[in-house]
Amino acid sequence: MEKNVTYIALFAALIAVLGLVPQISLASGVPITAQSLGVMLCGTVLGAKRGFLAALLFVGLVALGLPLLSGGRGGLGVFASPTVGFVIGFPIAAFVAGFIVEKTRAAIGVAAFGGALIGGVLVLYLFGITGMALILGKSWVAASLLVTAYIPGDLIKAGMAGFITQGLAKLRPDAVLSRP
Amino acid sequence: MSTPLSQSIDGIALQGAGFDIVGKPILSNLTLTLTEQRIGIIGRNGSGKSSFLRLVAGLVAPSHGTVLVDGLKPATDRKAMLSRIGILFQNPDHQIIFPTVTEELAFGLRQKGMDKAEAAQAVVALLAQHGRSHWAAQAVTALSQGQRHFLCLLAVLAMEPGTILLDEPFAGLDLPTQNRLTRALAALPQRLILITHDPKAIAGYDRVIWLEDGRVRADGAAGPIIADFTAEMARLGEADADTDLTF
Amino acid sequence: MLTLTSPFETPLHRVAAGRKLLGLAVLSIGLFALQDPWTFFLVGGLVATVYLACGLGFARFGAAMLRPLWPFLVILGLWHGWTGAWAVGLMIGGKMLVAVALANLVTMTTRLEDMIDVVERAASPLARFGLQPKMLAVAIALVIRFTPVLMDKAGQLGQAWRARSARRVNWRIVLPISLMALDDAERVAEAIRARGGI
Repeated sequence: MEKNVTYIALFAALIAVLGLVPQISLASGVPITAQSLGVMLCGTVLGAKRGFLAALLFVGLVALGLPLLSGGRGGLGVFASPTVGFVIGFPIAAFVAGFIVEKTRAAIGVAAFGGALIGGVLVLYLFGITGMALILGKSWVAASLLVTAYIPGDLIKAGMAGFITQGLAKLRPDAVLSRP
Repeated sequence: MSTPLSQSIDGIALQGAGFDIVGKPILSNLTLTLTEQRIGIIGRNGSGKSSFLRLVAGLVAPSHGTVLVDGLKPATDRKAMLSRIGILFQNPDHQIIFPTVTEELAFGLRQKGMDKAEAAQAVVALLAQHGRSHWAAQAVTALSQGQRHFLCLLAVLAMEPGTILLDEPFAGLDLPTQNRLTRALAALPQRLILITHDPKAIAGYDRVIWLEDGRVRADGAAGPIIADFTAEMARLGEADADTDLTF
Repeated sequence: MLTLTSPFETPLHRVAAGRKLLGLAVLSIGLFALQDPWTFFLVGGLVATVYLACGLGFARFGAAMLRPLWPFLVILGLWHGWTGAWAVGLMIGGKMLVAVALANLVTMTTRLEDMIDVVERAASPLARFGLQPKMLAVAIALVIRFTPVLMDKAGQLGQAWRARSARRVNWRIVLPISLMALDDAERVAEAIRARGGI
């Protein structure tokens, strides 16, 4: 159905926009990229399957050579670089986030926060750290030390995903496909 | 203006048609036969005009009654509608799907069954016909707002429909662009059904239907209905401050 | 929408996309398995030569695309400098650079339409799972079309924010931006249905 295709495509575009728009500073002055927030929202708003496809479409287009990753990165080189784990983890993170929102019966805001936390932070970092460990030839623990600085920011992002999903559910209840 | 369009013989027929959203009636009891070449649908915002367009186009199915286009149901017979009904929405950014002009124009043609090569040729011919061959490889983002409007019109014309429905096509356009669009529309051989809240747009039309609260308030020759409509709108504008909440 | 394909024409541009991707896959696996430093230097030198042979502008562009890797090179340098395992560090860092450079070479010499063609052909067996090739083509086109549109709207929202607040734009703007994505998705779905659906 057309709505599936357009929702998936528009949210893939949203991930790109949240990575490319430079003016978003997330926590009082600290400029963090909002791109993973976009990945979280794919899952929490569109649900597991569509969120997965949206993030997958995004990753696919990066592979095809579009500079959609934050910082204007893109192309096949990304998949040989240390951040490859995060990029490959995007669709799975979205899936897990969406799965949690779909299956829990908690209020949408809380469910979205939980989904964003487990999918968008825990699962994403699992993939990201593994990728980093492989490319840099370090142990998993060593690689995880490299990313600890980003974790607090991403925890806050999960909270934001909760608020935003809740807000969207109020404004466009029919469009939040994770809770039809 | 006589044209040998075999498709427009039957026309559009509504019989007791109604449309509800979540139980709330937006359009009620419409019985109309639309065969004229230039038809205007006029009404205030919220009168049901846009729902009327979607009903006739088959984008929504009627909640009551029937809607027929050339004897077919537009909501179910989508493939047949491609050559019968074309739609021009208000905002080009909500209609243009592809990033380049050629891809956008070829899309509808491929939908009709043409293969890649045929569609490409047809696009070249269409652009040449309208003196815009140099638009072929252009990115949509490089076109001005008026040019994007025209691109949407071209995309509709590429499908060669018998009838074109237009939803407030002049909204937000500057005067030169409005004039250009008016001229382009006037030259079209297709039946045009133009939905608007601005009486100037449908001044010379064959038939005007005034919709109010989802019902036909007036239906007939353009002149008198436009005069009544303009007077009523002036009266409403002076009467109150529109503070009542309707929901 | 700008892609990472280099505008400087090179002989590699004429090689078929599928062949380049296959070659990249083979070379990448080989590179990963490579242990001997001298062979590695040879390979690295070859890659650099190919870049330079394609033109100075091209090579400069290629070097710019390697820039995001420098923090990792620094980390590797510090790490291996600390432990004294220089040779290992150089190999890891070097392999990373060459692997990325090779992959970027394909990206820079292949047009987006050709890449999309490869993907569509590769995805055709998925048609039985419900993925019509038309859906994929439209989905890709929509992302390319709407990323700049959403960015413009995000920019306008930012301006509307700054017109009413002395404070910097913060995360709350993601809500209306997401709203625009949702609304655009609805309207474009309708526009597609109006033109025959997918």
